[in-house]
Amino acid sequence: MSRSATLAGYLGGFLLLFLVWHVAATILVKSALFPPPWPVLVRGWELIVDNILQDQIRASLRRIGQGFVIGSALGIPIGLAIGSFRLVRALLEPWTEFFRFIPAVAMITVSVIWFGIGEESKIFLIAYSTIFVVIIATAAGVGAVAKDKIRAALCLGANRWQVFSQVALPATIPYILTGMRLAMANAFITIVAAELVASNDGLGKMLWDARLFMQVEDIFVTLLCLGMLGFTADRLFRLAIRMFAGRFDPTI
Amino acid sequence: MLPAMAFVTLDHVAKTYRGRGGDWAAVADFSLGLEEGEFFCLLGTSGCGKTTILNMLAGFEPPTAGRILVDGQAITRPGADRGVVFQGHDSLYDWLTAEGNIGFGPKLAGKPRAERREIVRHYLTMVGLGGQGGKHPSELSGGMKQRIQIARALANDPRMLLMDEPFGALDAMTRAILQGELSRIWAETKKTVLFITHDIEEACALATRVGVMTRGPGGTLKAVVPVDLPFPRDRTSDGFMGVFRQVHGLIHAEIHPA
Repeated sequence: MSRSATLAGYLGGFLLLFLVWHVAATILVKSALFPPPWPVLVRGWELIVDNILQDQIRASLRRIGQGFVIGSALGIPIGLAIGSFRLVRALLEPWTEFFRFIPAVAMITVSVIWFGIGEESKIFLIAYSTIFVVIIATAAGVGAVAKDKIRAALCLGANRWQVFSQVALPATIPYILTGMRLAMANAFITIVAAELVASNDGLGKMLWDARLFMQVEDIFVTLLCLGMLGFTADRLFRLAIRMFAGRFDPTI
Repeated sequence: MLPAMAFVTLDHVAKTYRGRGGDWAAVADFSLGLEEGEFFCLLGTSGCGKTTILNMLAGFEPPTAGRILVDGQAITRPGADRGVVFQGHDSLYDWLTAEGNIGFGPKLAGKPRAERREIVRHYLTMVGLGGQGGKHPSELSGGMKQRIQIARALANDPRMLLMDEPFGALDAMTRAILQGELSRIWAETKKTVLFITHDIEEACALATRVGVMTRGPGGTLKAVVPVDLPFPRDRTSDGFMGVFRQVHGLIHAEIHPA
């Protein structure tokens, strides 16, 4: 499909979403608790004019960004080591398999006790929710490098380090990016939960306050923002993967 | 007993694998000497152990018995002196262009950029892919990918080429074209070649000698047939037919044992 056709499709899809929302809110449900899109958009615009919405978005995205970078920066080398060395795998697999089943949401309590309700606790939680997904995807990527690729490098005179840096690492990049893409979705879940529980600003905090004061439109503005931001972040990742994967096997 | 001081010596080589149902032999008591510059085709039925021979000579797996020597030196690991062309194109680096793939060995060897460019250009032209160097493997056909593999192995200037059914996955037309080109390239570069195949015609068209293996598991060398025919080979000539018939008879007895 051409780029413009994809774009037109997205636009149509979103219009349809708003249409379904409008029909549901004006004809099917008709409740003050479920506002149709127009008043929500108007409220969103007011919040933008008052510089409130931008501040909340910026606060949440900054936390996601920082935690995500830290989580990925730690997760990628650990995943590479697990995928490359049997001993490291044996040692660290219990860690990844253990913490993987303790969701970041469950760590909120601990994180607030340790780091307070400031930035650190949120960044810790995002990094926590990112790192294990990235580790597992990276390690799987290293394991999936075709045997003949490594053998070919050995026959061309590569030493162990060159096999790793020139073959295993570039072959693993699409897997790493896919892991980061999944981790980004996790980060959005985690940041809302963390800000709901303990925060002075951010989209989660906005959601919580809106509920407290029964500002239904504000709730929907927040939801709309989360959806749009997540969608944009995911598309950007897909674009990055494509840029690499276009040169790789197109099936990845 | 040694097949006296050949360039490549396989001396009573055997390979046994540990399996759940006990040990099983992939290759048994295999002895062969290769002269420098010859094109040796190892022909055998599926599962006879011919690829295992290549893997041991490449240094991918050690033999469980016997010795493998190249120029008097025992093989312990893969090395740049033995270039390998693999059956599939899994071995190509998808993230590099054709040029990047061919220049991979010279880059590892630390050759300067200008020299590398010259080497890449030379071998790209040799395999008939001049002008296609900027493409990635995913943009090339199966035949072109195998050409890149051959160029990549040659660009490293190995002492010998090990080829594991390199044309096995290609259509008959492309295969015939590449066989012709490989003969030309071999004559140009004078490399020693060990070529694994299960295709009798392919073996007779390419080889200076054809080695026929017994059927597996645990195959060994059954007979060696010299092919004293000029290149390019005329596959309809009486001479070719004679060699074909002889090799066919040897392999036929393995497919349909009495």
